[in-house]
Amino acid sequence: MTARLGRREFLRRATALLSLPAATALLAACRPGGHDPLLDDPTAALGPLERELAIYIWSDYVAPDTIPNFAKEFGIKVTMDFYDSNEEMLAKLQAGARGYDIVVPSSYIAEVLIATDLAVPIHKQYLTNWSNLAPIFLDRVFDPGNRFTMPWMWGVTGFAYRRDRIPNPPPSWEIFLDRRYRGKMTQMDDGRDVLGSWLRYGGHSLNTTDRAQLEAAKVDAIEAKKNLKAYISAPVKGQLISGDVWVAQLWNGDAEQARMEQPELGYVVPKEGCTIWLDSLVIPSGARHPRAAHEFMNYVLRPPVEAAISVATGYGTPNREAIKLIEHPVPYPTGEELTRLEYQRDLGRDTATWDQLWTEIKAS
Amino acid sequence: MRRGLPRWLVALVAAVYVFLHLPILVLVVFSFNASKFSVEWTGFSLEWYRRLLERDDILHGLRASLIVGVAATLISTLLGTFIALGLARHKFRGRRVLEALLYVPIVTPEIVTGISLLILYVLLGFPLGIATITIAHIAFCISFVVVVVLARIEGMDESLEEASLILGADEITTFWKVTVPQLWPGILSGALLAFTMSFDDFVITSFVAGPGSSTLPLVVYSMVRRNIEPSINAISTLILVMTTLLIYVADRFGRERAR
Amino acid sequence: MPLLRERVLGWLHRRPEAQAWSLLGPGIGFLVVFFLIPLLIMFAYSVMPRGEYGGVERGFTLEAYQRFFVPIYLTILIRTFVVAIICTVICLALGYPVAYAVARSGRWKNLLLFLVVLPFWTSFLVRTFAMIFLMRDTGLINTWLLKLGFIREPLTILYTPFSVMAGLVYGFLPFMILPIYASLEKLDNSLLEAAEVLGARPAARFRQVTLPLSLPGVVAGCLLVFIPALGSFLTSDLLGGAKQLMIGNLVQNQFASARNWPFGSAASFILMALVLAAVLVYLRIRDDAPEGAR
Repeated sequence: MTARLGRREFLRRATALLSLPAATALLAACRPGGHDPLLDDPTAALGPLERELAIYIWSDYVAPDTIPNFAKEFGIKVTMDFYDSNEEMLAKLQAGARGYDIVVPSSYIAEVLIATDLAVPIHKQYLTNWSNLAPIFLDRVFDPGNRFTMPWMWGVTGFAYRRDRIPNPPPSWEIFLDRRYRGKMTQMDDGRDVLGSWLRYGGHSLNTTDRAQLEAAKVDAIEAKKNLKAYISAPVKGQLISGDVWVAQLWNGDAEQARMEQPELGYVVPKEGCTIWLDSLVIPSGARHPRAAHEFMNYVLRPPVEAAISVATGYGTPNREAIKLIEHPVPYPTGEELTRLEYQRDLGRDTATWDQLWTEIKAS
Repeated sequence: MRRGLPRWLVALVAAVYVFLHLPILVLVVFSFNASKFSVEWTGFSLEWYRRLLERDDILHGLRASLIVGVAATLISTLLGTFIALGLARHKFRGRRVLEALLYVPIVTPEIVTGISLLILYVLLGFPLGIATITIAHIAFCISFVVVVVLARIEGMDESLEEASLILGADEITTFWKVTVPQLWPGILSGALLAFTMSFDDFVITSFVAGPGSSTLPLVVYSMVRRNIEPSINAISTLILVMTTLLIYVADRFGRERAR
Repeated sequence: MPLLRERVLGWLHRRPEAQAWSLLGPGIGFLVVFFLIPLLIMFAYSVMPRGEYGGVERGFTLEAYQRFFVPIYLTILIRTFVVAIICTVICLALGYPVAYAVARSGRWKNLLLFLVVLPFWTSFLVRTFAMIFLMRDTGLINTWLLKLGFIREPLTILYTPFSVMAGLVYGFLPFMILPIYASLEKLDNSLLEAAEVLGARPAARFRQVTLPLSLPGVVAGCLLVFIPALGSFLTSDLLGGAKQLMIGNLVQNQFASARNWPFGSAASFILMALVLAAVLVYLRIRDDAPEGAR
């Protein structure tokens, strides 16, 4: 082997090589927001209607004709791009990706978008159909006054079960501790949902950061894990239908979808309470077609449009006028039920704590 | 010419091929299933093939995947082969370190590659789109090509190339007429691996794709939240059929030319 | 065109190191810009404090690295290594015969080679769900085993280490088969015939002629399976029921739900450092081995 690089030469080159990315990293960390004052002021008028719109959304989250009809009526070219997890969409936006006009975050992610200046205020003067929205879904803790978010779809995270296998399940999370159904049960593959369920079981908030409460929930979760077949989220529908799984923590909309294929399915909102979730339409900063975005938001607030979306997706619509047009709508939670339901909130610095616990549950 | 292979070997190899293709058979069968859940057979239907015509998202995704796949494969195979030749044929300071560093793209978790490239693109002001996806795919494919082609070179006989040069051919002619044909199985294997990885890549692509440039995996993975409609099975089946036909035709064509 | 050719050749002849540069330059240059620099940015992130909502803040801290060295994460790392090694061994056991057979198949070579990769031009998710359909309690395998009377109760195949390993091996087989094929394909039959004429038995022929020739491919295949296998996470989630964590899951979580980018970055670099060290050791051994041994 030929002579090695002298130490000084090596150090010199290494420093030169590393200084560039170090500088870029610092630049990246303190990147300015790049905000448009016109967009930031919710009372300001927006420009003329743009001819394009870029939507970043979950797959199959609209009815098949929603976008084509909108595009035709307004003469706007719509591109749809898809993400598969709230968190990855957030990471992408935090890393600086721009160009989307609408994203569809869940409640706690919307909270982060707002807190990190990644969301544009809604110019309500363009949303003439706003009053169609039911008040119980407005003015929620993650966005008081709905300055940034427009409610889109909602649901709850209880559990689905096979009626033919378990005729009378306890309306409680304790079912997951029942050894009789060992190997036939699943919980969602999500730390917030799993820990959340056991926090509620213990009588605590599913947004708590209290260490003792979290540890207790973790213990229950590990106990339940012994009875679980797996941690699966939405794809568990297939196995509920086939009968491999008898009890599955699942969103109510998905349970409803599965029930259409397999009538022997029931759904339980546990008495200790569970998550109520709300996905919203948000305009991310850097949106290039804000006027078109608002036009789209207003369009989907039309009762027939939103009704079609609700029927096609199986999820609940927060549009009280649209509900009247649906044959078997998902009924809104009653006042009593609402006391047991909680929205997931962002946990700030404690996110790492929750993740640590989830890692411990998985490693058990 | 040796007579055939031992029977136990043929049986084992056949078993492996069956193992590889059994899930594919399931996939194809379910593309004709009436139910939208691929759980049980509920009846025959061509509904999902018909649906494909309506699903712009799937068709656009396929188009994007093919463009990126072909471009990334060509470029990464080219660059990777050259790197392999450079490493194998020339001794220089730091050669071993360079070769070791080429393994880093293989071990780096995809989410790290994806986010870090996105940050770079944002800093440089690159608009996200097909080009940014292609560049990302090239970046992680090159190393695989290098490793495969290097393995091929290592067993290769340099005397043929030396003979070619002695006999008066220049470097470029020698490269095309002697080196490349000898390397060909390595280059082909590297290219196949590169395309395979690019075509089904999800994590990296999800971070560097821009509005309007969602590839097929992005569409499919996003469907998991609700249900992966059998239209995906249908398009996969069509891809399989098309590719098999293409290979058959290319093989035939190649054999005609060889004659 | 000939003039250009003359120019290039002239340049190549004048500066002997130009050959090396022209081969290595473009590829390495590309990687430096589009891989190395982003990676170094990530490395900088790994020594910065975690941002409240994700990302990083200005500052310097080794907290992320220190955090890793606790039993829970080290166990995950070790388990990942073990899984990756087993996967590599099985891939080798199954992949080598296939590569050998394909290399010796004469005119069916190309077709058989394509048939190895063809399954992977379908969506990973759909393939994996098809595997679930085969392996689950009410799945195809159990249904047929029950029907044929081989078992009386459904076997638990899915969500076991077996199903995870089956999925991993499935996904990585081409990465083993293709490099071995590439180095076997030139297998000189005259060498084998000579060995046969000289009285060597099949086993000896294999050991002394075939195996050494294929060794570069075997090593390449093992590296191309082992190293990416270390970073895999989806297969273990989908086929293992997400009940265990591989290092890939851990890293994924840090950037996604935990929003702890420095820690995710640090964990990745620890993994990379380990692999890099191992590869350097291997390369030193390979280079120091006497030429004739190969």
